[in-house]
Amino acid sequence: MRAFTIMVYRQIKRFIRARSRVAGMIINPLVWLIFFGVGWSGVFKDIQIFGGVDYLTYLAPGIFAMTIFNQSFLSGVSVIWDKEFGFLKEVLVAPASRKESIAGRIVGDSIVATIQGFVILLLTFLLTKLKISGIIPALVVGFLLAMIFTSFGVIIATNMESMEGFHMITGVLMLPLIFLSGALYPIDAMPKWMKALVYINPMTYAVDGARHYLVGKAANFPLVLDFCVLVLLAVVFLGIAMISFERATIE
Amino acid sequence: MYAIEVENLVKKFGGFEAVRGISFKVKKGQIFAFLGPNGAGKTTTVHVLTTLLRPTSGKTIVAGHDVVEEAKEVRKRIGIVFQDPSLDRDLTAYENMLIHGGVYGLGGRKLREKIEYLLKFVELWEFKDKPVRYFSGGMQRRLEIARSLLHEPEVLFLDEPTLGLDPQTRARVWDYIEMIKEEEDMTIFLTTHYMDEAEKLADRISIIDRGKIIAEGSCEELRRLVGNDVIYLRLDGKECCFEADFIKTCKILPDGRVKLDVDNVSEALPRLFELAKEKGVKIVEVTYHRPTLNDVFLHLTGREIRDGGGENFRRAILRVRTRR
Repeated sequence: MRAFTIMVYRQIKRFIRARSRVAGMIINPLVWLIFFGVGWSGVFKDIQIFGGVDYLTYLAPGIFAMTIFNQSFLSGVSVIWDKEFGFLKEVLVAPASRKESIAGRIVGDSIVATIQGFVILLLTFLLTKLKISGIIPALVVGFLLAMIFTSFGVIIATNMESMEGFHMITGVLMLPLIFLSGALYPIDAMPKWMKALVYINPMTYAVDGARHYLVGKAANFPLVLDFCVLVLLAVVFLGIAMISFERATIE
Repeated sequence: MYAIEVENLVKKFGGFEAVRGISFKVKKGQIFAFLGPNGAGKTTTVHVLTTLLRPTSGKTIVAGHDVVEEAKEVRKRIGIVFQDPSLDRDLTAYENMLIHGGVYGLGGRKLREKIEYLLKFVELWEFKDKPVRYFSGGMQRRLEIARSLLHEPEVLFLDEPTLGLDPQTRARVWDYIEMIKEEEDMTIFLTTHYMDEAEKLADRISIIDRGKIIAEGSCEELRRLVGNDVIYLRLDGKECCFEADFIKTCKILPDGRVKLDVDNVSEALPRLFELAKEKGVKIVEVTYHRPTLNDVFLHLTGREIRDGGGENFRRAILRVRTRR
């Protein structure tokens, strides 16, 4: 268990140390929320499109989920840097289980991503009318989302041979996953094929769950479904990440 | 008892054979050096011995356990300083130590005491709360050495421990290594392409080239492969030859100097002075030549051990310059 906790500690410590990086991570979603959100909210006068709330309120949980998604996915794939720059070797020659070490790392990174989501959420409160009681459950949803995508990032990084391939994958994957999650606009009006993609995107359920708690309206699925999908995927992805990390590092 | 036993180790990467069937044994408590040029297969061997790479074939026992079948047991008993820095640059020296301890299952007050002891040992205690990013290359190396000792390994691997360090820092790292050997009674496996490093530190040296061990022995034994030590004397006044059991041959050179072949200069010289005193001759000048490990390498492979490429390159530049 010690290897697990120490890896959680490591990821959190690194986050606290790298303040400039943290600032950068927070600025990006704020740009979305303010310039994208405020810009469009003037256009959308009919609040019925967004399930009876103004656009900024509708968007806020989406930006929260997006922040966590971005952060967790990138920190997951950053295993590739460890691969390149040595710290990984430190872990690999240690007697601790590799599965345990990577699980600790994933949980640590997920906590970090959730903290960043929390910071964004607090800033969002200045602009919109969200439910304060929804913060803590929304953070739980955010953490599950973070677990899914940190694990997913680790899976990609451990199966990736080159840095170029990694840049391609992240470039191709990240934006569509955000657009196809209901974070920025409602799912209902989408064409069928697009909806199908939205339904298989794990982020969809995190956005929906966060909307349940923070807005109280405008959600698409029952809360139970959101949680079932998120928990299930978090467990499955974590498992795959642990196995593929162990396999990738034997040779 | 042996701390490392390697038999017919082969490691292939695709079609390339990096290590081509090497065998050697390292006695407990010894410093064993792998000496060879870059790309000889030293780091590959270290990676196999430290369970990071699976051998293609051959048997490898480290600290009493097989590196393939009992990798975990091996990992518990070894420490390693990698050739490339493997520190967490965003974290402080202390945090790096703490995390290492945790990964090895250590914790509590005992760990904190050990960290303090080791950081003081490598003289980094006052910088313990500084992020490693601000450390010089030598400081990082020292921290890595301290870190590798934290879990009290039986066998310590040092892969090019002084690569890229300035002479002063190198000497300091050497001191640490010698202190570790004496105080902790640890077996140390060292790779290097610096001959002086191998000569200074190692009890036994294996010379490796292109994936094969081409010679093994103590520094003295290896030197003897090339020839014996030679002493040149200039005497005050008369020219005469010395005779003793430790002198192989003695010759008077045309320029008046006396040339003596001996097995070991360091032992022969004091005795030579005694001999001269007995004979009543005065030695006014002494020069000597001992074969270096570079001579050994040259003798065995026909190439220089260090910077072969660089040397050729320099020659090429010279050639270009002279042509102009």
